[in-house]
Amino acid sequence: MEQIRKRQLNKKATKQRILKRFQSRSAATYFVISLAILLVTMILSVSYGAAQINWTVIRESLMHFDVQNTQHLILYDLRFPRVLAAALIGAFLAISGVIMQGLTRNPLASPSIMGVSSGAGFMMALALAFFPHTSQFGLILWAFTGAGIGASMVFSVGLFSKRGLTPVKLALAGAAVSALLQSASTMLAMYFNVTRDISFWYAGNIAGIPASSVRLALIIAVIGFVSAGLLSRSLTLMSLGDEVAKGLGQRTGLVRVCGILIVLLLTGTAVSISGTIGFIGLIIPHITKKMIGMDYRWLIPFSAVIGAWLLVTADIAARMVNPPYETPVGALTALIGVPFFLFLARREGGGLI
Amino acid sequence: MKHLWTTSVMLSASFMLAACGNSQVEAPEEETTEIPEEAAEGPKTLIDGLGNEVEIPSNPEKVLGSYLEDYLVSLDVTPVAQWSVSDGESIQDYLQEDLSGVPLIPHDLPYESVLEYEPDLMIIRDAVEQDMYEQYAQIAPTYVLKSSPTEWRETLTEVGEVLGMEGKAESVLETYDAKAQEKAEELSAVADSESAAAVWMVNNSLFVVHPERSSGAVMYGDLGLEIPEVVSNLSSDADWAAISLEELAQMDVDHLFFVNSDGPEAELFEDRLWQNIPAVQQDQVYQYGPETSWLYYGPIASEQVLDNVVDSITK
Amino acid sequence: MIFKNIHYLILALIFIIILMGILSLATGHLAISPSELVETALGEGSRRNELLLFEFRLPRLFIAILAGAALGVAGTLLQGITQNELADPGILGINAGAGLSVVLYLTYVSNRETTSPLGQMMTLPFAAFLGGLLAACCIYIVAWKNGVTPIRLILVGIGVNAGFGAVLTLFQLRMNQSAFNQVTVWLSGSIWNAHWSAVISLLPWVFILIPLSLYKSRTLNLLQLGDEMATGLGINTERERIKLVAIAVALTGASVSVAGGISFLGLGAPHIARKLVGNKHQRLVPTAACIGALILLISDMIARNLFAPSELPVGLIVAFLGAPYFIYLLITTEA
Repeated sequence: MEQIRKRQLNKKATKQRILKRFQSRSAATYFVISLAILLVTMILSVSYGAAQINWTVIRESLMHFDVQNTQHLILYDLRFPRVLAAALIGAFLAISGVIMQGLTRNPLASPSIMGVSSGAGFMMALALAFFPHTSQFGLILWAFTGAGIGASMVFSVGLFSKRGLTPVKLALAGAAVSALLQSASTMLAMYFNVTRDISFWYAGNIAGIPASSVRLALIIAVIGFVSAGLLSRSLTLMSLGDEVAKGLGQRTGLVRVCGILIVLLLTGTAVSISGTIGFIGLIIPHITKKMIGMDYRWLIPFSAVIGAWLLVTADIAARMVNPPYETPVGALTALIGVPFFLFLARREGGGLI
Repeated sequence: MKHLWTTSVMLSASFMLAACGNSQVEAPEEETTEIPEEAAEGPKTLIDGLGNEVEIPSNPEKVLGSYLEDYLVSLDVTPVAQWSVSDGESIQDYLQEDLSGVPLIPHDLPYESVLEYEPDLMIIRDAVEQDMYEQYAQIAPTYVLKSSPTEWRETLTEVGEVLGMEGKAESVLETYDAKAQEKAEELSAVADSESAAAVWMVNNSLFVVHPERSSGAVMYGDLGLEIPEVVSNLSSDADWAAISLEELAQMDVDHLFFVNSDGPEAELFEDRLWQNIPAVQQDQVYQYGPETSWLYYGPIASEQVLDNVVDSITK
Repeated sequence: MIFKNIHYLILALIFIIILMGILSLATGHLAISPSELVETALGEGSRRNELLLFEFRLPRLFIAILAGAALGVAGTLLQGITQNELADPGILGINAGAGLSVVLYLTYVSNRETTSPLGQMMTLPFAAFLGGLLAACCIYIVAWKNGVTPIRLILVGIGVNAGFGAVLTLFQLRMNQSAFNQVTVWLSGSIWNAHWSAVISLLPWVFILIPLSLYKSRTLNLLQLGDEMATGLGINTERERIKLVAIAVALTGASVSVAGGISFLGLGAPHIARKLVGNKHQRLVPTAACIGALILLISDMIARNLFAPSELPVGLIVAFLGAPYFIYLLITTEA
């Protein structure tokens, strides 16, 4: 009895020590600074557009909102939802990437590479072909299911192969699953003549997102962020490897299931609102880990903020590249993401096979 | 979730016109009884838009002019097949009074579909189709139009020339111009120097008509309505240029013609920004469905737009 | 290895290709009866059937066969060079590079008024070749770190593929509506210009490069032994590898210029061939060519008939069939 208690106490102490070692003193500073930068960028994004709206108007609209004032309405109904959507989706994808890389300890794990995004896109194509009047919430459910299908297809490749899901296999399986699901979606789209609706998901776009979608995304954000936060300690321990985590009393299976559910929820929502925007989930975790270390209690919120900032910035760029047309923001994130992916491939390709 | 990025819709602007509902076409009465009496004597040779010498048969009976049906019908020629998208999901509803019973051909004109109808003369225009010119030319003499797709008068004259119906084409133009002048006078009596714009909504995206094209040419050119500043500032080469709700909300326009492909329950109408638009508040928004001729080119399309505009404003 | 005698196998494959070819000629939106088919083949058919067979369906059939064979051999070469059974010109990004180059060439360089249609068709494969070469160089340079490991090559290829794809999207946005439409369909793999001139433009590439690949079989076999062994046996490995990559890229470029970006064919054909005849490239190259031709021919038949008279891009069919096979390979191959 005594011995068992002692061992448990001992285990607890070790856990504390490990968690403490991961803690980075500068994490809080980084987080606050990045949050400030995000806010400034969001304000920039809000003031950029066809109608000239300056800071005074923005402040005024926040203090005394006037339903008759077109500028106020533009802010409330168009620009605030858009910038919020960009920030939320960026955060969703970044958190998904962090969790996926933490759970799989695979540097290439991310929503677009793991087939999650293309799965969600496929199910939405299916939904639009057969149930064209699906509500926004319904679409999120479809996308959620699809995200699950895509991810499980890629994971089962790892499950069935002898040496598990190595980074290379993951990337290859992801590419194959995406190709399969995309060809299926395109065939569906062509047959049911919904090409116009579907082509958009493959480029990703956050223009004209209705305020109702953003409200839904906000609710999901609360659920996702809170549960990711609750999971963060376990994730830190998981990042040491299954054996160690088990030894420290983690129920690794449960953590894994919860983590995957969060990923599916966040990615599915992001895809159903904005289409497939690639590479954010891949890049962000690598950058944030370098900056503040492996403590997931800070890593998750910090990644969310940086992800949000990246997509808000990309969205501003997408509007400035070729006005008055909007460039699909997915093409822009790919332009930033590809060199990064190549860098990782160059670094990892030799070792982690 | 039906937003889409600009270009994919610009493409839809010319290719896919979601259509539903029945056509309400005013038949062009003055023209229905005439029979093409001036059909050419023998085969003639014309140089087409690609520089090919095309031997036009005398009295072609099976003419195929996909997306040129408006011109053919105005010349009293019934084409052997008519333009459609996705197995007839979209057709040119406003012409169906004259085209009922005419079989459909996919808009991209697959060789085998063209061969199926064994036309004696084909008139085509699109860049996509030009690549296939040599194949079509083996099925039937194929004439590629020289005139710009945005100039319906020139197109009508050219189609008339190809079919040996120059006189008929001219009389259609004269009839149209006379009617346009009459309608313009009728309009200026009630709405002198008032502005108007035509906005098309499809899949929750908004487009505004180019001031010199399609229904824009009728509203501004033929009927003399004023062009709002937002419309003349749009630097787009598309027939229908994408316009954001933000820009629409700031458009200062007296009359708004609203071509609605999304149905009466579209989210837009609930929007506070929409309800804040001056034309909406003054109840000067006139809704038309995709079965009307607002999105098309040609003498019949233009004539129907003339009637629509004047009826709506003078009502 | 199932077949010892390759000659019989090749003859059998050619026989199947001819059979499927006849079937392909007989199917389509417009019906044509077997007796009409024979009559037309003997030169006694109606004008309509003659057009249908000789002008529309036959060139298309030839393009499918030639492009399929080219991709099959290109895949074989790439897998031999990278010593990786998962290499494929589509997955590696060579298709995307060639595609980007063709699109740019058609948009900015080629001019209909100065170039005849045949001239344009003949120059297209060169444009595609240059683009593919650019992609291959990108992959090689990025993947180079004290030599090139096969795995790194593939990973980098996936990245390069995504990069060229994004650049293409940006260019596409500047096109007009119909060009945009055309490019989208073509990029997903489509025999879009089934002309005799397209067949002619493919012929020299296929009939020079496939025998050349066959001629290089010994080198390919030696490369399988590893660089040290190959060098010991008197092969300049780097130079040979570059030559072989150039051949593979040229074959890919030629097929991309007429049939668009078809992925997974260059992957599957060599695999099936390897199952049938084993690892010797003397046997592998001709078998993979026949298998590639057969797969593309059948896929094109499906693409033409599934939603007739509308056509599906044939690349979608190949991807739909090929991706599961790729996944199966991923599961079964070691590393």
